[in-house]
Amino acid sequence: MNFVDLLMLGFSEAMTPANLGFCLLGALLGTLIGVLPGIGPTATIAVLLPITFFLPPLAGIIMLAGIYYGAQYGGSTTAILVNLPGEASAVVTTLDGYQMARQGRAGAALAVAALGSFFAGTVATFAIAVAGPTLSSFALNFGPAEYVALMVFGLLAATILASGPVLKAIGMILIGLLLGMVGTDQATGAERLTFGAVELFDGIDFIVIAIGLFGFSEIISNLERSGSEGVTVAPLTRLWPTREDFRNSWAAVLRGTGLGTLLGLLPGGGATLASFSAYSLEKKVSRHPEKFGTGVVEGVAAPEAANNAAAQSSFIPLLTLGIPSNNMMAMMLSAFMIHGITPGPSVLTNQPEIFWGLVASMWIGNLLLVVINLPMIGLWVRLLTVPYRLLYPAILLFCCIGVYSMNNRIFDVILAAGFGLLGYVFRKAKCEPGPLLLGFVLGPLLEANLRRTLLITQGDPSIFIERPISLVMLIATVVLLGLMIFPAFRKTREEAFQEEEA
Amino acid sequence: MAGPAASDKGDRPDLLTAAIFVGFGALGLWQTRVLEGGTLAQMGPGFLPRVVCVLLIVLGLVIGFAALRRDAEPIEPIKLRPVIIITLSIVAFAYAATHLGFVIASLLLVIAGSLADPGGKWRTTLLLAAGLTAFGAIVFVYGLGVQVPLWPV
Repeated sequence: MNFVDLLMLGFSEAMTPANLGFCLLGALLGTLIGVLPGIGPTATIAVLLPITFFLPPLAGIIMLAGIYYGAQYGGSTTAILVNLPGEASAVVTTLDGYQMARQGRAGAALAVAALGSFFAGTVATFAIAVAGPTLSSFALNFGPAEYVALMVFGLLAATILASGPVLKAIGMILIGLLLGMVGTDQATGAERLTFGAVELFDGIDFIVIAIGLFGFSEIISNLERSGSEGVTVAPLTRLWPTREDFRNSWAAVLRGTGLGTLLGLLPGGGATLASFSAYSLEKKVSRHPEKFGTGVVEGVAAPEAANNAAAQSSFIPLLTLGIPSNNMMAMMLSAFMIHGITPGPSVLTNQPEIFWGLVASMWIGNLLLVVINLPMIGLWVRLLTVPYRLLYPAILLFCCIGVYSMNNRIFDVILAAGFGLLGYVFRKAKCEPGPLLLGFVLGPLLEANLRRTLLITQGDPSIFIERPISLVMLIATVVLLGLMIFPAFRKTREEAFQEEEA
Repeated sequence: MAGPAASDKGDRPDLLTAAIFVGFGALGLWQTRVLEGGTLAQMGPGFLPRVVCVLLIVLGLVIGFAALRRDAEPIEPIKLRPVIIITLSIVAFAYAATHLGFVIASLLLVIAGSLADPGGKWRTTLLLAAGLTAFGAIVFVYGLGVQVPLWPV
């Protein structure tokens, strides 16, 4: 089948009433949680993961994907109108977006953000459609040694590109790996790290960890922070950018889209990194960098295009190589696994309707999001006034039902509560729990492939440097680690995330 | 893990991190002590866990010693109320759902959970609890077929 046939197949899958409905539902939910500060896409997807078990595979994945990129649209609304990032990736949008709103140009900022995101989403969708088949046919040649090297590279690169101290992130990955080893060892049947508990013989469920670390502990730490109510919403004026706004922003949208698509591909990259980088890039290439922060339209257009592009292009490594690059993708991986589908090159050949259906649904979802966000903006603004007091009991209940519904076991819920406490301690220790999820999902894969490699070579590790692809990955890993030792690079990296802490 | 007596040194969040990492590593080593390590060609179940645990302990020590030499930084204040109430209400939900049915468990969770945030009004809380319970019963138990009894059995 050629490209057009495959794309048609995708659209015919995505356009079925049920799938269209779930796409819309995902986009709506994504916008909702994007608008509301204090609820992120990670927690939401963790809560909804158990529910996708009851849906057909494609429908569930379409919905979860819609939540992720939908949150990028919604996040900008709060950033522009309230000066609060609805989403981590919208932090930089507050800088110029809110200033525009104060000057009475809120409508223009919102429209530029939504249209820029739509353009970026369209481009990123095509990037997936083009890169997917190419990369996955390349990945079909991968043996276990290449996979080991790829995973080591992916895990370490993820710690460097993510925000926060690298050593802590590596430690979190190691804890994740260790948690992934709990249960019966696949190769030998020995039970490991179970403390003798029968309930742990099958290992810990991904959902238990995700809901504990992101659902429960997020509620607890949000409640600790007082004074989250009483937001003032900037007045909304005419909803169409001026001709000048368009002229100033189209180049920024293009640059943001390009940068975002590229950064989404990298391990550890994703929406947040992309929006920060796009903002600094705009500042660098701008002829009037001193005006940034006072309400220039490029400062909204570039990061908003970038975060949406990256949110989508980060699906590429997962769909083609089966390797998740950030914690959102780790969630998506487990959504596939719930249905017994292992993402990777074989999905494209054996179940093309899943891949192409998802790609087509992304474009449809982006179109829906423009409609959801622009004409319906008033509704979302109203939602901003709902206090957290009324929201968190609902989240708490959905989390509990979600965990309980997996096996109908008291044990799972209590374990998730335990992970909630652990997540709370992590927050106090200023450890970002995202890398833990990556380690947890990649751990079993890493161990199986490492064993297979060394079994083939009878314990000779030199295979990792004899196979060219594996060698390149390992050199890249060493170079990245080496770079971290140089103070100059470390400083640049810290600067890149500086605005986040402000 | 409390830092040394010197009050002007020691990055507390990092010391806590070190304690977590070393703790996890030590716990893992202790749990895997009976497992076979095997050889590189024929890895036993204990091989990789031990490697990971040792790395964790080393990393924890590195972070810990670096933190001791840095200027003091306190851990953010802890509010016990949300931590305890949220955790207890989750545990209560788990037992109640199995033995008393979904309706009671859900009411319990929402009402008890709401206490974590002081200043809520009883009327709102009760309305919220009733609404969410009805929503949960319709969507999850009837709609999605989650296997949980609605009423006490």
